[in-house]
Amino acid sequence: MNNQSLSLLLVLVPLLPLVGAVATVLLGRRLGRSAHLPAVAGIGAAAAVAIVLLGVTARDMSATHGPVETISTLWQWASIEGAAADASGADAAATRGLSIPVAVRLDPLTATMLTIITCVGLLVAIYSTGYMHGDPGYPRFFALVAMFVFSMAMLVMASNFLLVYVFWEAVGACSYLLIGFWFTKPEAAKAAKKAFLVNRVGDFGLAVATFLIWMSFGTLDFHDTLSPQGVIVPGVLGQTRLADPDGYFLPAAAGFSGAAVGTAICLLLLLAACGKSAQLPLHVWLPDAMEGPTPASALIHAATMVTAGIYLVARTAPLFVAHPGALTLVSIVGATTALVAALIGTVQNDLKRVLAYSTISQLGYMFASLGTGTLLGFTAAIFHLLTHACFKALLFLGAGSVMHSMGGVIDMRRFGGLRRVMPITAATFLVGSAALAGVAPFAGFFSKDEILAALHAKGWPDAHGGHADHDDAAPTDGRAAVGRPVRLASVGPVSFSTARRSPAAAGDAPARDLPDADRDALALVAPSAGGRDRGVPLDALDTPATWRLLFWMSLVTAGLTAFYTFRAVFMTFTGPLRLPEGAGHGHGHDDGHAAAHDHDHAPAHAHDGGAGHGHGHGHGDHAHGADGHGSLESPPAMTLPLVVLAVASAGIGWLLFATNWLAHFLAATPSLTASAVARTAVPHVFHWDLAIQGTLAAVCGIVVAAIGHLGRRSDGPQMERFLGPLGTLFANKFYVDQIYAWCIVRPLELLAAVAAIFDRTVIDGAVDAVGGIPGAIGGVLRRSQSGLLQRYALAGVLGVLSIVVLLAWQLRG
Amino acid sequence: MNAASLPLLQNALTVGAILFSLGLVGILTRRNLIVMFLAAEMMLQGISVSLVAWSRYHGDFGGHVLVIFVLTVAACEAAVALVFVLQAFSRTGRLDAAAWQSLREATVGRTIDRELPAVDTVPPRFPTLTPAGVQPATDADDALEREHV
Repeated sequence: MNNQSLSLLLVLVPLLPLVGAVATVLLGRRLGRSAHLPAVAGIGAAAAVAIVLLGVTARDMSATHGPVETISTLWQWASIEGAAADASGADAAATRGLSIPVAVRLDPLTATMLTIITCVGLLVAIYSTGYMHGDPGYPRFFALVAMFVFSMAMLVMASNFLLVYVFWEAVGACSYLLIGFWFTKPEAAKAAKKAFLVNRVGDFGLAVATFLIWMSFGTLDFHDTLSPQGVIVPGVLGQTRLADPDGYFLPAAAGFSGAAVGTAICLLLLLAACGKSAQLPLHVWLPDAMEGPTPASALIHAATMVTAGIYLVARTAPLFVAHPGALTLVSIVGATTALVAALIGTVQNDLKRVLAYSTISQLGYMFASLGTGTLLGFTAAIFHLLTHACFKALLFLGAGSVMHSMGGVIDMRRFGGLRRVMPITAATFLVGSAALAGVAPFAGFFSKDEILAALHAKGWPDAHGGHADHDDAAPTDGRAAVGRPVRLASVGPVSFSTARRSPAAAGDAPARDLPDADRDALALVAPSAGGRDRGVPLDALDTPATWRLLFWMSLVTAGLTAFYTFRAVFMTFTGPLRLPEGAGHGHGHDDGHAAAHDHDHAPAHAHDGGAGHGHGHGHGDHAHGADGHGSLESPPAMTLPLVVLAVASAGIGWLLFATNWLAHFLAATPSLTASAVARTAVPHVFHWDLAIQGTLAAVCGIVVAAIGHLGRRSDGPQMERFLGPLGTLFANKFYVDQIYAWCIVRPLELLAAVAAIFDRTVIDGAVDAVGGIPGAIGGVLRRSQSGLLQRYALAGVLGVLSIVVLLAWQLRG
Repeated sequence: MNAASLPLLQNALTVGAILFSLGLVGILTRRNLIVMFLAAEMMLQGISVSLVAWSRYHGDFGGHVLVIFVLTVAACEAAVALVFVLQAFSRTGRLDAAAWQSLREATVGRTIDRELPAVDTVPPRFPTLTPAGVQPATDADDALEREHV
């Protein structure tokens, strides 16, 4: 396939959903019940193209045995000559101009992400045709979903930080609109607002990181570009810079050492990732985002958008690897989030919220894995991202199926024993849960095992083949490349430490001319005077002890994950059959109800409880129907995606682990294969000891959940009571929301109240005063309007006289 | 011609100034719309006299021409002005300019130097004869004819 047709295919992936979205917007009302057609067709075609691209990339990879990268510049968005006064060091002359090309890229990481996004998007879109059936906003929903797929595809394809920022915002906007889909519901509107505002904090990080990258690298492109003068501008993640061992040692700027600036960039990127991927301390928006329609939760808040943070860190891997302090912080944030979210998840009674906290927890896992900075860590994170997308989408869609049949009830205490009435949902949900819990043959087991292995390798480096390359005088603090370099590491074993920096860039710029505030802002990452050349204090975190702690945290999290997942399974699907009042959704236990079928699927989600919905058969009817065949099962449009995802959740982990195909494939990403990351490659092995530990943790969790919940009625806050004060702490989500309310929201509200008073009195007063001036003048002049002709005439005469006098005065003078 | 006619110029200018001043005083002091109009015409004629005088003094006919032109315009303007005056009269029943001071600002008080006599709103009563005798039969043709005469 030549380059041109490849570029065309690449453009088609985002273009088709975009066309679908626009068509839905334009024709939605006219299409009525089939308003999903343009969106489903667009996303489906995009999925097909994405799979073709995945195949093409894989073929290229096996053909070249090296980095695989295709860049296609669609057009030049902006081109400003002489935009930067001081670009980086010696290349300054070449990198003065700012050019923003709309460039899309195809490499293994992008291809993998595209496949995940479009395939999950397609399944969710198909599912939604059943779930959203009859909703007044039916076309709007599909337009938004297609729009989201477009934005997300562009986000992972963009080859420029500014474009990434644009689509970072675009997916945020789609998320906002979908959370607030039922905007008449106050909680939904509030949740949408919260998600948007919390994300803004992270977006701020990305914006500042973009500025800093422009200041330090002199370009915003990922790839190498050719300047108008014909000089190669090394892109931030371009192969020129990747091949240069000193490529990520930034020159000192504004009195800060390069390491401090680089660490600041990484921390800001991490902040952005934390916002989008709901990591501590910006995780608060995701549980509330469950107010949106469940398919949107599955697509955006479980499978794809929340993984944008993972993608961002994985994409900028070389930058992070050059700054071990920031990298370690990624892991610390991730592992802490994983543990905290899992603890909160154990006491949640809302099925969707359990899954939401589980998503936060699993994303934390991925961050913990990314933070190891090894090739194994990065590929494991993406591997887990892939499997997580499958099984978490499955779980969410399963929860949606339950919710659909329960008439909008999602509180696990109000139903039970559903496996008898919803066999397909129950079976697929069980598969998803097993995958999430990390039970042996299912997807989650393998990806979790890899993550644990990556963490273990950092904590006990000797146990994983020993230090391969401590050839440098500089201490590498245990984050040296682990294991032998494999085929991909063409550069050879070179330890990569912050101690090695280009001598020319030694921090010699005086810090005097910097405002104090700026200095304080960077004080976190800036070293004290002496250590400017050697890195930042944050790097001290990077010790094996830290990694051991993180490993144990992750292992505990694995157990907790299994516990809360199976707690949810047992509460929902086992025990005596119990149904909530409004569960009038069952679509007929005999075929005679076929006529009423459509009416049946009108969404009762908007009004919780959905009392009196459906055609009014009561509780007894259902119990009766339950004796026969799954009378409450969702329509095929909903169960089909469940089955597909269940098959994927069951098989994909084993398949990809046994062949190690994904790791090989991802390793051909330029930023992973040509950089220091590649030097950390280790041979692919199955760690029996870790697998056993992980499985033990999972089994413990499942057993505890079974003891507590299997076959029992559970309609009270049992978990909370059982755990005592800790339970209260967990149930209140560690009081993070309250802390934010008191520390941020209340002071801001106070400030807003003061500002409102100031506005009404001072500002409005000033405006009114100015507005009063003409009135006052008019009031004085008004008195002359007497209505008497003679007075007017007199005024005229006096005016003429004064002119005459004036003229005479002038002529005389 | 110039030097000899200087006294003539002075006299003519004096007459013009007097006419103008009289007109000015008239327009400022009289309230009758027609009189005010006449006063304005008088000011115009004062200016015209001055123009003719200067024209004569300089031996230039431009001034004469302009005065003829002004006369023409003044004639037209008189017609228009009288229409306004008539309309004003038919509205208020008065020629007094002060009758129009209701056009003043709402907040400004009325200026009264002397109370205007109340308008006679009662329709005049004409003497009538007591009907007597028999009403003669009307001849339609005759009535029509009378009407047309």
